[in-house]
Amino acid sequence: MRLTLSLVLACVAASSPLTAQSPTRLARVPDAARPAIDSLIAVAVAESLPTEPLVQKALEGTAKGVPPDRLVNGVRRGLLQLREARIIVARALPAGQAVPEGHVAAVAAALARGLNPSVVERLLAAAPSEPPAPALHATADLMAHGFNADSAADLLVEAHDKGLRGDRLLDVATAANHELQRAGGRTQSDALAKVRAMLPNVPAPVTPVTHHAP
Amino acid sequence: MMLDAGGGMSPIDPRLQEALDNERDPGDLPADQQDAYARLMTAATLLSAKPAVSVADRVMAEIRAMPQQLHTGNRWRRAARWLTRPLAVTLRLRPAWTLGLAAGGLAAILLLPGDENGPEPPRATEGIAQFVGHFPGARSVEVVGSFNNWSRGKLHLRDENHNGIWHGDAVLPAGQHEYMFVVDGERWVADPLAGRYVDDGFGVGRQNAVLIVRQANSEDAPQQ
Repeated sequence: MRLTLSLVLACVAASSPLTAQSPTRLARVPDAARPAIDSLIAVAVAESLPTEPLVQKALEGTAKGVPPDRLVNGVRRGLLQLREARIIVARALPAGQAVPEGHVAAVAAALARGLNPSVVERLLAAAPSEPPAPALHATADLMAHGFNADSAADLLVEAHDKGLRGDRLLDVATAANHELQRAGGRTQSDALAKVRAMLPNVPAPVTPVTHHAP
Repeated sequence: MMLDAGGGMSPIDPRLQEALDNERDPGDLPADQQDAYARLMTAATLLSAKPAVSVADRVMAEIRAMPQQLHTGNRWRRAARWLTRPLAVTLRLRPAWTLGLAAGGLAAILLLPGDENGPEPPRATEGIAQFVGHFPGARSVEVVGSFNNWSRGKLHLRDENHNGIWHGDAVLPAGQHEYMFVVDGERWVADPLAGRYVDDGFGVGRQNAVLIVRQANSEDAPQQ
């Protein structure tokens, strides 16, 4: 009976979700890069920054066969972006409000997509208590199609003011990009005006299946 | 908008866009644009296709279609039927071992992560992602990204029609994911249809595709 209990406990311990969070996730990382990456992740922990983006960056570089020095630099760059993101979030949120890790990770991702800090700050300040990722991605989607960053942010803030929330903000960018691609040589400002006029009733995706951006 | 071979953005030809919007007869397009039109329409058809019939439904259909087995035939057929027919088996187990095995099984069910590519429907915080890529002549295409810890061998695409269009779908956590296709086990390619890209940060200008998975049952989604 004692042996049975030991086996059961061993089985439970081996399958614990805690195992997934342990450093064994980084076992694939090359030995030459591992100490430096462990240090960078320890710094993130000490500074209360999210560590998952750094773990993912290390796993990504390892899977791609990136040389150890560039792998470490990639993770270090991720840490710097998280630090910058936390400063932006803290500045945008009302004084005294805790800085959520999810906000920090979302802002870091937006900075990596090319959003400038002032636009990010403005979008965060417009909806401080909501997950910022959809508005940030929608703005980045518009910028990728040549829209001016401030004009894109204006549109997203207006969409939010008119009641659109969460993933529906992505539909605003989709609608603007669709208007831009319509035949007839429509300009970015024409497309923005067209979408502004239809707010908040921008078309929804036809299926719940996610594939790609407009 | 479409991507050129170098990964940059370039505007789609207005004539092709008009044909895609049903505002122009595709037959009026130049030959090269007719090819592009055909490829885009094929990809659009794949994207709008309904999910395949479930494994359970297919198995049940096979069972219903099986001819009724008769208790006739020669000795070898009878032997084969005996070998394949379910038989009652009696197991003698000590209660302690039985309880131990049951507890171990329960712990495994409760604590082990599920198969992320399995057929389970998406939960409240998940959505369905479809991947499509045009890789003529490829022997294999798989998707590797942050949703599978950048591990190989987890999500393979299929080219069922042998026309170079590889596709597959997966239930993923809602939110942002970065990913790439790995073609023939060695060539890393950013999804040309992704529409969103981000520098991978390793200093050689390579980009990951960015996927935003929307919740399948999101409250944000308007009622259809």
